[in-house]
Amino acid sequence: MTDTFGRGIRLHDLHDLPYLPTSVVGSYSVPEWLGRLKNDYYQNRLSWQHLSDICDVAIKAALKDQELAGIDVVSDGELRRDNDIDYLLARIPGVRVANSNKAYFYDYYDTSVAEPLPTADLVPLGLAEDFTFTRAHTSQPIKFSFTGPFSLSRRIRTEAYTDSGDLVKALATVLNAEARRLAAAGATLLQIDEPVLAGYPDDVEAAVEAINIVTEGVDVTWGLHVCYGNRHARPSWEGHYDFLFPAVLGANIDQLILEFARKGYGDLQLIKKYGWDRDVGLGVIDVKSDDIETAQLVATRIRRAIDVVDPARLIINPDCGLRHLSSNVARAKLRAMVEGAAAVRSEFPNTRPGPA
Amino acid sequence: MLVEVRPTSRLRGDKPLDIAASLEPVIRGVCDSTLDLSRLRVVCDWIQYRANFREVVEVRPVVAATTTAHGVAHAAVHGDQQVEIAVDLRRSSTVSLYEVMTVAIARHQNHADDDRLFIESWGAASRSRIWEFNRLYWKALDLWEAATGQMYESTLPGGASDARNPDAVSDLVREMFTWWDELEARNALPEELYVVELGVGNGSQAKAWLDAFIAVEAEQGRDYYRRLHYLMCDYSPHVLEMARSAVAAHAQHVSSLVLDATRPTTALAFLKYKVFLVYISNFYDNLPSDEVARIDGHIYVVETRAYLSAADAAGIAADHSVQVGALPMLIDKLIALGPALVAEAMPAHFADVNHAVDFWRRVWDATRLAERYAPLAGLDLYEIAPGVTGDLLRPHLESGGDIRMHVSNGALASFVDTLPLLHPYGMLVNHDLFVTDTTRYRNGFLGPGKYDGSVVNWINGSLLAHIGRRMGFDVAFEPFRHRAGTSIVTMTAQVRD
Repeated sequence: MTDTFGRGIRLHDLHDLPYLPTSVVGSYSVPEWLGRLKNDYYQNRLSWQHLSDICDVAIKAALKDQELAGIDVVSDGELRRDNDIDYLLARIPGVRVANSNKAYFYDYYDTSVAEPLPTADLVPLGLAEDFTFTRAHTSQPIKFSFTGPFSLSRRIRTEAYTDSGDLVKALATVLNAEARRLAAAGATLLQIDEPVLAGYPDDVEAAVEAINIVTEGVDVTWGLHVCYGNRHARPSWEGHYDFLFPAVLGANIDQLILEFARKGYGDLQLIKKYGWDRDVGLGVIDVKSDDIETAQLVATRIRRAIDVVDPARLIINPDCGLRHLSSNVARAKLRAMVEGAAAVRSEFPNTRPGPA
Repeated sequence: MLVEVRPTSRLRGDKPLDIAASLEPVIRGVCDSTLDLSRLRVVCDWIQYRANFREVVEVRPVVAATTTAHGVAHAAVHGDQQVEIAVDLRRSSTVSLYEVMTVAIARHQNHADDDRLFIESWGAASRSRIWEFNRLYWKALDLWEAATGQMYESTLPGGASDARNPDAVSDLVREMFTWWDELEARNALPEELYVVELGVGNGSQAKAWLDAFIAVEAEQGRDYYRRLHYLMCDYSPHVLEMARSAVAAHAQHVSSLVLDATRPTTALAFLKYKVFLVYISNFYDNLPSDEVARIDGHIYVVETRAYLSAADAAGIAADHSVQVGALPMLIDKLIALGPALVAEAMPAHFADVNHAVDFWRRVWDATRLAERYAPLAGLDLYEIAPGVTGDLLRPHLESGGDIRMHVSNGALASFVDTLPLLHPYGMLVNHDLFVTDTTRYRNGFLGPGKYDGSVVNWINGSLLAHIGRRMGFDVAFEPFRHRAGTSIVTMTAQVRD
């Protein structure tokens, strides 16, 4: 692997991680100035090339922030994306966007599918290029996340499918092809985000079936992130994670990354009750609040989880993406998370088993 | 020279304004002056408020900007600066416009302000002393009402708050029952159902709402009242006490909270994402607001400075045994202590409470605002509400041509801090004077004016909607359905996506 100057990078891989490794869920703080420039792009006042250059700079800064905070597994902050849905849907052949201009980049497009989506000879969606850029600018292990087929499907109007589950599977096939490209580009940790799933608890089995289509034949560590929504820093749903079980046990994933800091840790008992024996991404930072957790509070939250979950299986992360937090708050929260994890880690051996 | 006539609707119709007659002395006056006509703007408004803060003619300097290491700052005021002359067409025929114009221009050019007693320094409009008077009005409402013999609600358009219109209230309760039925069917309805009212007035709207709730519940055979918590919130303990007595029949379901309605989460953080209805009426229009303007492509904030005319100041001073120069001190004391305490503390100036209230009313009646345009160092550096930068004003200010509009800072602060309280199925309902199209600012005067002892501004609804949408809410406006001919607009905000 080489950096942008063609020099070799000594990569740290997932096997180097300590106990209680720290990570992020995906998105990083979007500065107001970047949002304004994205608006300009979506109103045809800025070229794609200029926006892309600007995003390059923002991603490098986000990587640097995470490295300085001491995060073990970093992400590109999803800073190229307009939002979690449209960045993918607008690139999928067969998905129609009614109007590609937006007053606000974060708004969702009105998307529809008139014919069944093609599921063969699939064109690249460009995620592998995004990963390659990130890989060239950090030696840390990288988590690369993308929205899962179930959540994507909920933003599409269609009469092309009589069974909505078929649309979900078609999207999963498209994502599987892209995941293969990501793996070929060197990705070792991919995360599927299903932010909408909590609103449709009766559809979990169908969502898991689609997740298994996405992961099929892609030999990387797979994460699944399920939260209660973080659109505009608000929860879209309320409830408990019991809807995930036992269906999620059938998902071919290695990590389950969940939201706890905002809602409390009562649902950790579900991990024990249903015998989830793979990794758990423990949300210890409330991303819907500007209040900065102390390292002590983070440590307390981790110790509480250790009462229920094997510490060798715990990964420490925020509840969700950091996109709605200011840069200063995001940095401070990450520092607190790293310090809190370090305090607990000192009570354990220096290595952890490799990915499950 | 640019001449802008904003009240265009008055130039036609049964009794069209004789604009030529109004403009002739204005044009003659500026031509006879030594003002640089190439840099002059003449702006004509129709100020509909009988009681307001404006002279018939006012000269407003446009302060030039200079670049510094930290951005943009004011340049030194100099003689050839750009100016705007503002004319109130409604009163233009009541004075000798040419004479008034000549005096106003001379005052500006000679920096001769000795015919005015200023009672504050220059500052953004939202920080003006007039808002301290406004707060005093609500705190000492009982004394003001006793002096005027008029209840405040009778000063509202229509003589009553639209929030207690029985049809409007019943429709709203029925709509809530629909959401609750849906959530109940999914076993997702919380045990406790919260409704918050901000700015409770005399409690009549709370009573109307709760009475309607019981009626609709009986009509539909539901059992929601048992689970209902209605929170009345106001910054005036006196107002809350009045309101509590109005809803005594619902006491088991009503709590009252003293809070700063521009920062509701300071008291209501425990209700984050839990409130099904936030109910507001005739409240935002009474919160502090700045004004911003785009002039020749540059962005300015309107700075104001409250004053009394020398004649008014002399009359008031004489009746309260104080030197004119000491009047600002006496006003400070009145605002800090209120009329009852100031009468006790300063018997040499106030024979009794009534005398103090008389002082208050006369000062208020005489208060005017001088204005100037001060350059903004950058919209992103102008915080229009806590955590909200002025960058969100950009689409409105860049919507084409020059414009001057309200920022509605107090309303925005309240709105932005209230939305996080709403349950995913919750709704904010607000009856008030909303400007729903920014272009309205180009053809109408929208405040500030005086309503009794309080300040009133129309609210920049377009801006609120823009910011609400950025926060993930659908914000809609419609004319108030249940009273014909009203200017009141109903704003609703609900979670989008």
